[in-house]
Amino acid sequence: MNLWRGIKGSIQPFGITFRNIFRKPSTIQYPEQKRTPAPRFRARIILTRDPDGGERCVACYLCSAACPVDCISMQSAERPDGRRYATWFRINFSRCIFCGMCAEACPTLAIQMTPDYEFSKREPLTLVYEKEDLLVDHGGKDNEYNYYRHAGIGVVNPRGGNPDEAPPVDIRTNLP
Amino acid sequence: MPTLTIDNKTVTVPEGANVLEAAKRLDIVIPHFCYHEALGSVGACRLCAMKFLEGPAKGIQMACMVEAKDGMVVSTQDEGAVDLRKHVIEWLMMNHPHDCPVCDEGGECQLQDMTVAGGHGIRRYGGLKRTYNNQFLGPFVYHEMNRCIQCYRCVRTYQDYCGGTDFGVLGCNQRIYFGRFRDGPLESVFSGNIVDACPTGVFTDKTFRFHSRYWDLEEASSVCPHCSLGCATIPGARYRELQRVRGGVNKETNGFFICDRGRFGYGYANHPDRPRIPRIGDREVSWDDSLEEARGRLADIAHRHGPAAIALLGSPRASLEANYRLLTLAHHLETDRIAFEAHPERDRTARVVAALSDKNSRSLEEIRNSDFLLLVGADPLNEAPMMALAVRQAVRRGAGAALIDPRPVGLPFHAVHLPLAAGRLSEFLQAVCAGTFENFSRQERTILEGIAERLRRAQRPILIGGGDLLGAAGVRDLLRTSEKLSKEDRPCGAALILGGPNSYGAALLSGETSDFNGILDGISEGRIRALVCLESDPFTDHPDLSRSRSALAKLDLLIALDCVPTTTAEKANIFLPVKAPAESAGVYVNNEGRMLAFASVFDPGTPIRVTGGGDHPPRVFEPGTPRNPPMSAWSVLGALQNRRESLNSLRREMEGEHARLAGLASLDPETDGRRVLPGGGRFEIPEIPAIPTEEKAFDLISIQSLFGSETLSAFSPVLDPVRPVPRFLMHSADAAEIGLAAGETLRVTTDRGGFELPVALSEVMARGCLFIAHLKGSPVDLPFPGVRFAARVDRRKES
Ligand code: SF4
Ligand code: SF4
Ligand code: SF4
Ligand code: SF4
Ligand code: FES
Repeated sequence: MNLWRGIKGSIQPFGITFRNIFRKPSTIQYPEQKRTPAPRFRARIILTRDPDGGERCVACYLCSAACPVDCISMQSAERPDGRRYATWFRINFSRCIFCGMCAEACPTLAIQMTPDYEFSKREPLTLVYEKEDLLVDHGGKDNEYNYYRHAGIGVVNPRGGNPDEAPPVDIRTNLP
Repeated sequence: MPTLTIDNKTVTVPEGANVLEAAKRLDIVIPHFCYHEALGSVGACRLCAMKFLEGPAKGIQMACMVEAKDGMVVSTQDEGAVDLRKHVIEWLMMNHPHDCPVCDEGGECQLQDMTVAGGHGIRRYGGLKRTYNNQFLGPFVYHEMNRCIQCYRCVRTYQDYCGGTDFGVLGCNQRIYFGRFRDGPLESVFSGNIVDACPTGVFTDKTFRFHSRYWDLEEASSVCPHCSLGCATIPGARYRELQRVRGGVNKETNGFFICDRGRFGYGYANHPDRPRIPRIGDREVSWDDSLEEARGRLADIAHRHGPAAIALLGSPRASLEANYRLLTLAHHLETDRIAFEAHPERDRTARVVAALSDKNSRSLEEIRNSDFLLLVGADPLNEAPMMALAVRQAVRRGAGAALIDPRPVGLPFHAVHLPLAAGRLSEFLQAVCAGTFENFSRQERTILEGIAERLRRAQRPILIGGGDLLGAAGVRDLLRTSEKLSKEDRPCGAALILGGPNSYGAALLSGETSDFNGILDGISEGRIRALVCLESDPFTDHPDLSRSRSALAKLDLLIALDCVPTTTAEKANIFLPVKAPAESAGVYVNNEGRMLAFASVFDPGTPIRVTGGGDHPPRVFEPGTPRNPPMSAWSVLGALQNRRESLNSLRREMEGEHARLAGLASLDPETDGRRVLPGGGRFEIPEIPAIPTEEKAFDLISIQSLFGSETLSAFSPVLDPVRPVPRFLMHSADAAEIGLAAGETLRVTTDRGGFELPVALSEVMARGCLFIAHLKGSPVDLPFPGVRFAARVDRRKES
């Protein structure tokens, strides 16, 4: 039974409301006005390319395994030059929760989050993005990394030609 | 039985077990690579370190190299041991490439697991990585040598276990290399096992290359449907496509490994022409319509011509449940015209085996532990490959082996080979029983007496026979011989190679019913008007093709149930698509009489690869699988009898009906299976027409080839590069007599038509014989294996 606290609690909010009437509003008139989100903002996902213009994604299925809502699916295949790639790659954005686990799991920096958050659609099927819709022609947040120059199986560089590799050994020699 | 203490828990293990195995029994798993249950331990990877506190060994030791002894006290969590393991895994990773994302082993890679288990994370070594060049190893195995950690498992599998000679370890120093001397296809028919054995991604399945990740596959314990041994397999499917098969573990049958037919013969399930929709004539219809039509037309024929005008044909490649439902369909239709094998001689052979073999029937495990093996008319590498490996393991442990066979049989072990003509195999078996070899030449007698002597002296001898060459009478003689040679304290076993994965099971159901020739006669004479074919193909699997084809053409109604586009399926008036073995659950009874259950791996339906046309899957919402997916054969046959039932209730019913199938309902695919109860029955073999012999005539014998004659693997496109070329095989002396050189074309005329094929010559085969390796679906209609007839030969004039 604290009458004084009750009275204070009823009046104080009016005071706070009254004070804020004269402050500059922090809301903006979206969509007429727009904010620039931080670069690390997690929204629409892209598939990037390596500095040589090749598709970075090697269809390793790690993003689809990491995804907590199972909205990534793909099919891997081999190109004649030995490159592993995705014949199709699908993200169902109507299910995606933009957690960023996929980007974190990706060993090739292929899948990345962008700050483009504006893509609500009326038709659920138009939120199912195929590889053509996801693939961009830049490296996203990293323009340097080319996975195949480190992989060590001789797809982009010749075998034993990566910076941290010795040339292939001669298995027929007896010399020490 | 030593008892030892590991991490404060005591365990008792069999004599001779090592400490790593003892720890495994306690569910303590210590990182290890080179130890493998089937291959033993060699102490090559240095990873399984444990600290030995008490007992004969002291200090940090490789657990796989220390035999468990009474009173040992071992710690796996000792600081020194943990630290050593951590360093060893770091060394092993020193040269490992940075390529897990593009490695097919990823996800099921022991190196990944052990690296995590060993506690190694960040690479500290700054030097250069060693690299190798890869080799082309043929159509099945992909080689990526940079991933190797030198555990030697592949060589031990390929050379020691499987007896391959063209692959091994090369080089010295830091340049140890696992491959062939030159690029080229691996020659062993067990080559795929190195994929399973290699703990890293050096050897991966080329047919599965870049298809899927292990974690995305639907897998289940299954049984290989490609020969009568019933090896355990684990098929893996994704997106309604069977993508690979790996070896399963069944201690009683295959052990750990499987052959390349079992591993790479899976393509039939995804065959582009696989019929997946019920058909009436050429019209695709729904399940309800097709079943309605089948029921209606069968009733119509029974009404017009009597129930005996309907015949049914089961199959050794259909499950026991499906064959049983076919039998009850016969009862339902009130006809007794039923056979379970389109090939009458194979039918008789299987029935003899099912009736006579009981106590003396031997599993592959018993063959592996035998001390003398006599193979009669058996070519295990072509007829039942894992049987050859089982014998090899026995021979490696010191057993003797001898082979009596007219063919130039290649074997992965050393054996005395006497090429006796096919017609004399029974004579030989009877002579072994009698103990005298008077009818044989002096040279033959010396060898045969030696064999008989070894057979008498051996403690666990086993006679192995090939059903196709021995025939029903020969198989009966072999089983009798094994009985005759058995003594109270020293039984002599027998193992027979049959035609299909469920030949034994189909024979169990057959009882005394007529064979398929009787049905064919009925059709020719117009008494039989309708035939229901369950997963069988009498148009191509009958030994006398012209006879079966002309008869079958007279049918009013042909109903076929199958999962592959066979000729019978094509010609059927009503076609009902059924699930492939990997899609359905069921039971096979293998050559030993062991019931082996298999689980359903995935649901059938047109694969996404097909519905998507190679591009992304169609962008439509659709509940369930597209179109009418195939059903299990037993449920289709049940539906024809208006039954709705579960697999379990069906199995319980079968158990009740057939005393020999006791335990069927509780059979678990994860176990080693269960032997059917002994029949103890006598089986009278009907008179077998003698083979007409002619002066100057050759004994023409069609034989099985590993990648050519079995139906399901014949529909597997990845096996195409290794299919045999049809040709004759002839003794070089016989060829010299008619002036024929190797590679020339030989024309052969028989009462079943003529064949013109090139000829290959051999010196280690019987005189007067002519062999054709069977190739299913070849342009020349080759006679089906398991048939002998007289042939006149004629060297074709080269024009
Ligand atoms: S952001 Fe999260 S939910 Fe969305 S695709 Fe990636 S892992 Fe899946
Ligand atoms: S994790 Fe990266 S490389 Fe792997 S499939 Fe996903 S996007 Fe492609
Ligand atoms: S190739 Fe594989 S199995 Fe053979 S030694 Fe290397 S890692 Fe071991
Ligand atoms: S031996 Fe026979 S059952 Fe075993 S894997 Fe080979 S084909 Fe299959
Ligand atoms: S498993 Fe013991 S040393 Fe390799």
